[in-house]
Amino acid sequence: MSEYYGTTVEDIFKTQNKRFRAEGSEGVDAVFAYDVQGEGGGRWKLTIKDGACATEKLDSDDFGEYSVKITVDAETFVGVTIGKIDGTEAFTAGKLKVDGQIPLMMELPKLFTKYAPPGKEVTAADILATSESRFQPENAEGLDITVGYNLAGDGGGQWTAVIKDGTCKLEEGLRDNLTVCNIVKAKDFVDLMLGKLDPIVAFGAGRLRLVGDMEIAQRLPKIFSKFKSNASEPVEELIMLKKIISVDMKYSTGPTMGKFLNGLKEKKILANVCPKCGRKQLPPRECCAVCRCDVDEFVEVGPEGIVTYCDIIYYASPDPLTGETRETPYGALFVLLDGCKDREALWHLLKKEDLVDVKRGDRVRPVWVENPTGSVYDIIYFEKVR
Amino acid sequence: MNQENKDCYVVDGKLALPYQYFAGRTGSRFLISLRDKKKIFGVKCNKCDKVFVPPRQTCERCFENISNNWVELSDTGEIVNFSVVRYEGKHLPRKPPFVLALIKLGGADTPMTHIVEGIEPEKVEVGMKVKATFSDEPTNTILDLDHFEPV
Repeated sequence: MSEYYGTTVEDIFKTQNKRFRAEGSEGVDAVFAYDVQGEGGGRWKLTIKDGACATEKLDSDDFGEYSVKITVDAETFVGVTIGKIDGTEAFTAGKLKVDGQIPLMMELPKLFTKYAPPGKEVTAADILATSESRFQPENAEGLDITVGYNLAGDGGGQWTAVIKDGTCKLEEGLRDNLTVCNIVKAKDFVDLMLGKLDPIVAFGAGRLRLVGDMEIAQRLPKIFSKFKSNASEPVEELIMLKKIISVDMKYSTGPTMGKFLNGLKEKKILANVCPKCGRKQLPPRECCAVCRCDVDEFVEVGPEGIVTYCDIIYYASPDPLTGETRETPYGALFVLLDGCKDREALWHLLKKEDLVDVKRGDRVRPVWVENPTGSVYDIIYFEKVR
Repeated sequence: MNQENKDCYVVDGKLALPYQYFAGRTGSRFLISLRDKKKIFGVKCNKCDKVFVPPRQTCERCFENISNNWVELSDTGEIVNFSVVRYEGKHLPRKPPFVLALIKLGGADTPMTHIVEGIEPEKVEVGMKVKATFSDEPTNTILDLDHFEPV
């Protein structure tokens, strides 16, 4: 596909329906025929009727009925569309021919919003592909190391940069015994390399993990020069910084919550029972919320239970502990564990696969991590007992 | 109450607040000049005959849009006023003590705030001439102009 001014005729017509302004089309009932000639050209028909626009690519030069026909070469068409070429001038110079109801051409700016060429997004693979050329041998003297890139998420993958004898070679996949390995989401990696995400903040927030020789890790910005995006000159560079304010906190559990968390280490769910009213509290709390007396007695409940309430969350706010947003949709439920009654339900997450048919009264059981550490997330989620 | 504390422990947590700071069009051009050209630009209101730095889109006096009247300023200026920062904070750009000064650059009518280094805080004086030192590492922040030093 031939590009002109960094975009193609096809790209422009692909966005035609999206750019259509129904509010600007009142009373317009017309068919625009485009015969775009030359390399990267083609024939398109836009049918505008009843406040809607249909774009059709034609295989032959039979346009059928049309109100107005525009004949133009591909380069001029793109140039005029993105504003690099003056439409009136092209028309006077005979580069753009209009046939039929010429006044309809005046309606076009009202009918469609302006086309904006897509910005090419740099991918992690693009950036890593430049590793060898960004390698600075003078800053890597005497080094015999392997640097791994383990990038998760969209556009991710695994690569290893092998640095030896003043040369650098990039390989796909992760080698064994890496000197240092970067573990980061591909999206964050790109932001880091483009300077949009501060490495120190990303590291502090746990979004960038470096495993291995930290001394080498710190030298990496010197071993590789900064990545420069060579995407066709940006029209206007705007500075936006993504920052993460991170505040270290310490949370003292106290003996009551501590006992609950210690129970999780043994895959036990502990509630405490009020000596006066017999109510169970889950998670346990220091005193009974109703009787205001100390509560010392603990009982194991569950592990299975029934769903009393379930939310399916589509719009999640970031988890304040990590700054990450949970993948949506996810289910959050209240489970009345065996041995509990009334409102003694525990909040937790639901297994993704169970989202489709979860309902009140369903029987669920916890799914534990392999090595519990005494955290509420020792239970990964609850799943339906099927 | 004699309670055992074998069940008490401390969980490390981290409160992370992700946010985005957008410098705006005018702010971006200012920062990009610092980063790429190592030059300080201000904007001039022709009507009021005032040069503002850091640049602003509209004149604070007549509300005229002045975002296209860029003027290059000198990299040296005069300390108009200053303060010595003596407490440590994660958000602060330097370890204390360090000097934050209002510096009026040659060609500007407003002072800008920046760090003054290369001199003991006790010796800084109002009226002192200082010169800009630019950063080698791009940060996309005002710290692309790293600090000022006495001439």
